[in-house]
Amino acid sequence: MDHRPFEDWLLDNQPLNHNQKRQLNTHLQTCSSCTAIAEVNLALKSAKLAAPAAGFSNRFQVRLAARKQELRRRNFWGFSLLSVSALGVLGWVSWPVLKGLVQSPVNMLASSVSSLVSFWASLQAIFRAGMVLFKVAPGFVPTYIWAVILFAAGAWSLVWVVSLVKLTKVPQGVKS
Amino acid sequence: MTDESTWIIQAQQGDEEAFTNLVETYQKPVYNLCYRMLGEAEAAEDAAQETFLKVYQNLARYDRERSFATWLLSIAAHYCIDRLRRRRFSSISIDEDEEGQTDIPDRSAPDPESETAKRQERERLSNCLQSLDPTDRAAVILRYWQDCSEVEIAQALKLTVPAVKSRLHRARRALADLWEDKPAHVRTERKPYGSPAF
Repeated sequence: MDHRPFEDWLLDNQPLNHNQKRQLNTHLQTCSSCTAIAEVNLALKSAKLAAPAAGFSNRFQVRLAARKQELRRRNFWGFSLLSVSALGVLGWVSWPVLKGLVQSPVNMLASSVSSLVSFWASLQAIFRAGMVLFKVAPGFVPTYIWAVILFAAGAWSLVWVVSLVKLTKVPQGVKS
Repeated sequence: MTDESTWIIQAQQGDEEAFTNLVETYQKPVYNLCYRMLGEAEAAEDAAQETFLKVYQNLARYDRERSFATWLLSIAAHYCIDRLRRRRFSSISIDEDEEGQTDIPDRSAPDPESETAKRQERERLSNCLQSLDPTDRAAVILRYWQDCSEVEIAQALKLTVPAVKSRLHRARRALADLWEDKPAHVRTERKPYGSPAF
């Protein structure tokens, strides 16, 4: 009989009947390659579980506590940094208003009106520039560029929607 | 409802004692998997601890329809595979094999000589295991040490069942060649059908 079926029986760990076992035993007496496979199978089947040193769960508790503390510390510093940054931005944004509060009411009113007028003038200028650009640009930009821009915008929107759907999916095993 | 299911539910609700029960129940299989994967007691202890930390952090995501043991061993196996890939180019000491860790004592051991022979065989097997591809190694460990079925191995390692069969077949072949101390280039060759050598 050929070598192949014996090797496959051993490598696939197939269940054997009495006759097959007898044939295999006869083959093993002459085939070192199959004997090695049989020996490895036997060694694997008789292998024992390695156990950790005593006190594994106590060491885990210590590590868990350390990890939690580290997380708390990281959260604290993250929150502190965020708070300081937020306060800085808030101070910078509100500085003109705060400065106005220490001025006289007439000056404050004048500066508010002046700010409003300047804001309105800026809006109008931007709107006019936009209208001019809107009228002039189509003449300068070739049609295929518009197609590319529209396609890119569509793709970007698609990526955005897919990301939102993926991010908001309820995790496996968590009841909603 | 089994104790395990109760502990899982309680642990998912934040009960640390229930989680400790799970750690105590599964510490041995998880440690064994890590030890057989990494080949070092210290690294195995660290990997097993990290596995339980990952489980603790992701317990809310655990699907109770699945086997907890398979999910847990899957996390341990992937952690070890990642770790092995990261240290691919650094050498691993196998010689310290049993130091710092304990095999479950064999109460049926007849005499010290036989124990020494068994120990040598274990070391030889461990050395052969370390030469396998990490995923093949994980499949062998799950099959023989954890007694997982091919379906469970497929779930744990995110493979198909035929892929698991193929990996186990290949791993047994490679282990047998290493067991025989064949050179590497011979290992990869498939024996021709009806070779005259036999």
